[in-house]
Amino acid sequence: MFDLMYNTIFFASYGNNLYGLANITISPFDALFAYIVAIVVSIIVALILKIPLLPEKPYRYSFDVSAIYPTPIIAIGIFSIFLVLNYTFMYNGIVLAVIIGILSALFVKYLFDFVFPKPLDGDEGEDI
Amino acid sequence: MNEVIGIIIAAILCWLNFVIVDTYFGLPEQPGVKGARIIGENVEKRGGDIAGGFFQGNIVCSPDASAGTLIASIGYMLLGIPGGIIAALFVFIGNRLCADPGYAGTVGSLTTTLIIFICSFIGFTPEMFIVGMVIAILTVQGLDHKRASIVLGKIAEKFNRHA
Repeated sequence: MFDLMYNTIFFASYGNNLYGLANITISPFDALFAYIVAIVVSIIVALILKIPLLPEKPYRYSFDVSAIYPTPIIAIGIFSIFLVLNYTFMYNGIVLAVIIGILSALFVKYLFDFVFPKPLDGDEGEDI
Repeated sequence: MNEVIGIIIAAILCWLNFVIVDTYFGLPEQPGVKGARIIGENVEKRGGDIAGGFFQGNIVCSPDASAGTLIASIGYMLLGIPGGIIAALFVFIGNRLCADPGYAGTVGSLTTTLIIFICSFIGFTPEMFIVGMVIAILTVQGLDHKRASIVLGKIAEKFNRHA
């Protein structure tokens, strides 16, 4: 009666090409290429926006955003959601990958600290 | 592949994956939040190792490579390789909500996705990795805190990450 997964995918796929059964699908190699495009574009745009390439030392405990982490993670994660919903737009998903790469770099530069603020000194562990 | 043998091998792979990734990214070195410190000191008081105690406390207090391995397995079962990458994004969001930088969780999710993809060619299914990860986390958190923390402390010493 209430198949949430089916209804969600049916709604997001706009009534056709349900579960990837459309005439137009992209091959695994196109998907891999689009992933690489998303990663490269997000890193390049992040560097253009003057986000540093690497976080501050020590790397393992740094809360600072950087071009190689977490910008590509956000880009490929959101691109995966579009891929799963089978909405790849044009040119085998490459245009979508470029758009998502640019938007994720903009998000990391301007919105990230508002959405995920750094822990306050008083509330966190004593050692960081 | 026989399911029981597959689950045992998957449990070993999951255990190695999350312990190595978590140790490399410094979970035994220091507690991320106060709760992890309390758990670590409590484990040490009962005869365990302080580094292993911090490791166990950090696993409890924020989603690290252990949670990443489990969620990536579930994502792979539902949606294939993109599911594992979506799991990395979700684990990263959860990490930042738990005052954790999130390196261990995202790297653990991506390595798990890679491991399941490689193992799928020789007959492993993602379901085996879900069950295997539950067994692996049981050996660290569920059976004996003292002995598990001593083993984790020895591994931390080998990686030069002891507290």
